Amino acid sequence: MNGMRLRALLWLTLAVVLAIAAAVQFAGPLPLQSNLLALLPPTERNPVAEHAVSRLAEAAGDRAIFLIGRPKADTLELGKAARDFGAQLRASEVFRSVVDEIPPFDPQQLARFYFPYRFNLLGDGDRAASSDLVERLQRKLYTPFQFGPGYPLADDPFGFGDAWLAGLPLKTLRLETQDGLLVARSGENVWAMVSAVLPGSAYDGSIQTRVAAAVAGAEARLKQDFPGLEVLRTGTVFYAGAARQSAEREVDFIGAGSLLGMLLLLYLVFRSLRPLALGLLSVGFGVAAAATVTVAVHGELHLITLVFGASLIGEAIDYAVQYLAAHLGAGKGWEPMAGLRRIAPGLLTALATSLLSYAALMLAPFPALSQIALFALVGLSAACASVFLLLPWLLKAPGKRDPEAAVALPRRFLVGWKKHVGRRACLTAAAALLALSAPGWSRLASNDDVRILISRPLALVAQEEKIRELTGFGNSSQFFLVEGKTPEEVLRNEERLLEKLAPLAGDDDKSVLSGYLGVSMFVPSANRQAHNRQRWERSVFADERRLRELLSDASLRDELAERMIEDFANSKSHVLSVDDWFQSPLSTPFRHLWLGKVPGNGAGHFAAIVQPQGIRDVGRLAVLSGALDGVTFVDKAGSVSRLFQEYRQWGIVWLLGALLLIYGVLCLRYGPAQSVFMLLPTALALAVVLGAFGYMATPLTLFNLMGFMLVVGVGVNYAIFLREGGVNAAATLAGVLLSAGTTLLSFGLLAFSSMPALSSFGLTLLLGICVAVLLAPMVLSFMPEASR
Amino acid sequence: MKKIRSLLVGLMIATTTLVSPLPACAADVLNQIGAQIEQFQVIRAEFVQTKQMAALKRPLVTSGHLTFSRQHGVLWQIEKPYRVSYVLGETKIVEIGGSGGDSVRRVRETRDVPGLAQVGRVFRAMLGANSDTLREYFDVAAQGTPAQWSIALTPRQSQLARFLSGMQLTGGRFVEEIRISEAGGDDTRIRLSNSQGAAALNDAEATLFGTENDGSGR
Repeated sequence: MNGMRLRALLWLTLAVVLAIAAAVQFAGPLPLQSNLLALLPPTERNPVAEHAVSRLAEAAGDRAIFLIGRPKADTLELGKAARDFGAQLRASEVFRSVVDEIPPFDPQQLARFYFPYRFNLLGDGDRAASSDLVERLQRKLYTPFQFGPGYPLADDPFGFGDAWLAGLPLKTLRLETQDGLLVARSGENVWAMVSAVLPGSAYDGSIQTRVAAAVAGAEARLKQDFPGLEVLRTGTVFYAGAARQSAEREVDFIGAGSLLGMLLLLYLVFRSLRPLALGLLSVGFGVAAAATVTVAVHGELHLITLVFGASLIGEAIDYAVQYLAAHLGAGKGWEPMAGLRRIAPGLLTALATSLLSYAALMLAPFPALSQIALFALVGLSAACASVFLLLPWLLKAPGKRDPEAAVALPRRFLVGWKKHVGRRACLTAAAALLALSAPGWSRLASNDDVRILISRPLALVAQEEKIRELTGFGNSSQFFLVEGKTPEEVLRNEERLLEKLAPLAGDDDKSVLSGYLGVSMFVPSANRQAHNRQRWERSVFADERRLRELLSDASLRDELAERMIEDFANSKSHVLSVDDWFQSPLSTPFRHLWLGKVPGNGAGHFAAIVQPQGIRDVGRLAVLSGALDGVTFVDKAGSVSRLFQEYRQWGIVWLLGALLLIYGVLCLRYGPAQSVFMLLPTALALAVVLGAFGYMATPLTLFNLMGFMLVVGVGVNYAIFLREGGVNAAATLAGVLLSAGTTLLSFGLLAFSSMPALSSFGLTLLLGICVAVLLAPMVLSFMPEASR
Repeated sequence: MKKIRSLLVGLMIATTTLVSPLPACAADVLNQIGAQIEQFQVIRAEFVQTKQMAALKRPLVTSGHLTFSRQHGVLWQIEKPYRVSYVLGETKIVEIGGSGGDSVRRVRETRDVPGLAQVGRVFRAMLGANSDTLREYFDVAAQGTPAQWSIALTPRQSQLARFLSGMQLTGGRFVEEIRISEAGGDDTRIRLSNSQGAAALNDAEATLFGTENDGSGR
């Protein structure tokens, strides 16, 4: 009795410590991380590339973009609607800034910006080959139309400046300005763009809520004032908000579903409220400890961990269930400590195998897996500890129910099983199952797409695609990283890259990509500027008398030639630099391309990115970058997929390793031969589920493998519990069925998660646990006669 | 800016189709163009263009032929002082040196050039006599009768007004003169004569428009 009290006191102390720690930790908002990519380890070997990826993601992530329009919209009405919408967003005071009106874009501003540097600049065509000056002058004079930005005849008689301006990659965005609005057009449809900058991270829950409310308000107002107008939106904040909402819904649904189902099952078996309270207490202690320790170690709780944690309840309750089953089976002869001692080996073996399979997950250098593993390790240990420390004291009185009557059904089943199912029948069944599953194995496929981790609401994806199509905004997960010791070196490396890209770009299907964007297209390296100047010198200014004649013959005023010669001489020291370019407001849409000084790789390191557009053959781009110094092709989505693939392949090895470890633990208690039979139901479950996936054409993902690890850990538990049942075999079977029922309820519900990762995890468990528990009684048939 | 001149060509084309003998209220002139617009598939004219530029000692005079096809676009063929042709299609602009389309020199896609899409839209609006769209860009003042009229276009947006102070068109059955006054002081007059409507392009013209689709020589 005294021992029991001491234990209970120890538990109480632990609970108080835990409560204080939890109170301290969760005093503020729950540090819930909804950025799914934050779960992944760095995927790039080059740290600068990782930096560039996050810079780009931030640049794109902290804004929301809206397009307002409808078929055949009246532009005046549209302008008013867009400004009203912008004003509404501004009035909500949620956004740092809202842009609905832009200063008129003056194409001549570009011409003016480059004017002082014009003798350092040449278009690609003019750099490659010299051309006849007379012909150029004629073309400049007689062209009936000049399109886009250009210079007046007096400033650029040979059109070299026009050619440079024409080569600037300004077409990348399909937006145009009209009446101070940015508009996109497709056919007869007109859309006005409004953009807004968030006050903080798109993954911040309170920002998500406020943004959602502000946008909903502005949208409702717009629909009221301008019926028929449509609003498209995109932005990380909407995706992250949707992910958080669905995760919260799922935690509620799965958590509540599994809890209610479990309580119902517990009540059906034990017909008393006391076991319910005890089960909840042990699970509650486990989950609270898990959450507190995980946040303490990782600083945040990822929502994928939270959803997983909601389902861990089903496994954590198993230990309490076994204790309660022992109580039920003992009937009037219940002696708490003796009962505990009897089930202790089984509980500890079961805990050890579960911990081993989770510990295997923890070894993965993958924050998601190690966070889930830590959560499970702590949660299960704490729940199990509650059973050892607290339950004996709380459940002292022997049960009033007749154990025979309470477990009559399981007992009849056991008697029937022992009578009819022998070793031979089990082996035949095992062989038959293997034979049935084997054809499925050959049909197994795999899927490592990043989308198995990130599911995005279809409505939002459709809107984003439409916005992409209308505006020409590109994606930001694939790009070239260009590095150098100085900005000049970066520009030179970039120019070498662009020279290789140029022949690959085009609009036809055979091209590798449709276009590209880089800073050196606006600012040539000083080296190239010097070469350009030399070319100017050779082709235009080498013979000043001829230049004068040429211009005079074309009836240009004489002073123009003099001015040109003078300007050329005076511009010798003018070199356009990246900084000059960034001083100009014209560079705003392109600033993200220049990373400037970056950390890592030693001091004085600079980097820029080149964004390829309309990529049709990613492989070629990756190969291309391999051959160039200072250029790396970064493909975040591709890297993540490769990572998934790597872990999926390793996962198979881990799985085999975990099976071996568990076999080792089992051998300690059951000996080598019997341990094989203990593992048989679980191994068969794996085989059958793999076969089923093959037949169902469900590709294997990393998350299925994670599911298999749990099937192994939990499946072996059932075998252990049944085998350890001994005199209380019937009550134990009831307990095992109960455990399986609760686990199926909790993990099985994950199969309905909207997150593909969790649903494939859940499906694996649903199938695997069903098979494992159905086959678990096999261990009874293989038990040596003596211990039966 | 000179791109405005392509607006002008559109306008010119639109007004060449003015064949209504009906007297009309001046404000309806644009609408009447709309009513008459389906008259001809193709219109041909001769042009003489006189450019007065600050940088030039004397005016620059060019002359040649113009063909407008409602289906294909505009063919602007300069014959003097040297031969060069421009094919102005919906999506591309092709410059062809020489006379017979022997060498395609430059192809530019309209979507590659900022603002060109706008020009094209105004262009189409004029062809469809879509006065709503025209009025997005210009204040339109028309006077006279369909037999003898003039239209003044003043840019509504300051962006446009920076380059263009105004355009003036005069004509009768077809457009007879176009005058473009640029904000910088340069001035262009295009006189059109011998305007004729036709049902289809001839072979030579069709070939030139055909080259537009090849898109070689970039």
